Amino acid sequence: MIGLKGRLNVIDNSGATLVECIQVLRAGSHARIGDEIVCVVQRSRTVGVTQGNQQSQQKVKRGDVRHALVVRTKKEVRRPDGRYIKFDDNACVLINNKGEPLGSRILGIVGAELRDKGKYSKILTLAQRVV
Amino acid sequence: MKVEADSFSGARIYPGTGKLYARIDNRIFRFFNGKSESLFLQRKNPRKIGWTVLFRRMHKKGASEEAAKRRTRKTVKVQRAVVGASLDDIRKRQRPEARAQLRTESLAQRKQKKAASDEAKKAAKAKVQQQQNQQQKVSKVQTKGAAGKGR
Repeated sequence: MIGLKGRLNVIDNSGATLVECIQVLRAGSHARIGDEIVCVVQRSRTVGVTQGNQQSQQKVKRGDVRHALVVRTKKEVRRPDGRYIKFDDNACVLINNKGEPLGSRILGIVGAELRDKGKYSKILTLAQRVV
Repeated sequence: MKVEADSFSGARIYPGTGKLYARIDNRIFRFFNGKSESLFLQRKNPRKIGWTVLFRRMHKKGASEEAAKRRTRKTVKVQRAVVGASLDDIRKRQRPEARAQLRTESLAQRKQKKAASDEAKKAAKAKVQQQQNQQQKVSKVQTKGAAGKGR
């Protein structure tokens, strides 16, 4: 249940580590696993000073406004078979307008609710584990 | 349909019951009810909580009934006939007399082989020696002749 001001960990390698939700792109309620949000980057990884290599350049800095996809929530989610699943933290992956991830790797587990949404197949394949 | 076991208490979790807790370190815990979930999150040790399966196993509660059910199963070794040797043949060969006979036979064969190979080696050696001697003879004659011519 992510709403305005809710903080999430970023689990991809786009550069951001902590984001704060400013808008839930879902009609009138809180964001759950598989919902998109608009967020502000609160904390990002520091870039090494030495090289300005194209590949290791960070894509996202503090203060950036991005879209993100919620992939883990502490609030339990109900599965169709009656199970309830909850994670240890709230986490998200930064995405662009088309739903493609900004980073190239996803570290950690991801909720299987993403499968039902349809357009996040790339994130599912990148994820280390889908629960 | 798979019936899971509660990670804390060992209770059977039928589908549609309980909660699944996925920790960030990729470990998954299943809870049958809020009771076991709460105790788990309080980091209690199930081996010290008297109603859990882990406690009962450790203190061997109710184990006598289980032991009565189990009976040791012994596997019986049966010797079977093989293609090319019927059971009787196999039995015959296993007897000590048959074995002793085989042993003496093989020993005699080995002795014969060794004798034959020794002879062959001797013959080969003699041949080589002869060839060497002949060569030497030839070379001496040649040198004498050459020396004479050179003068």
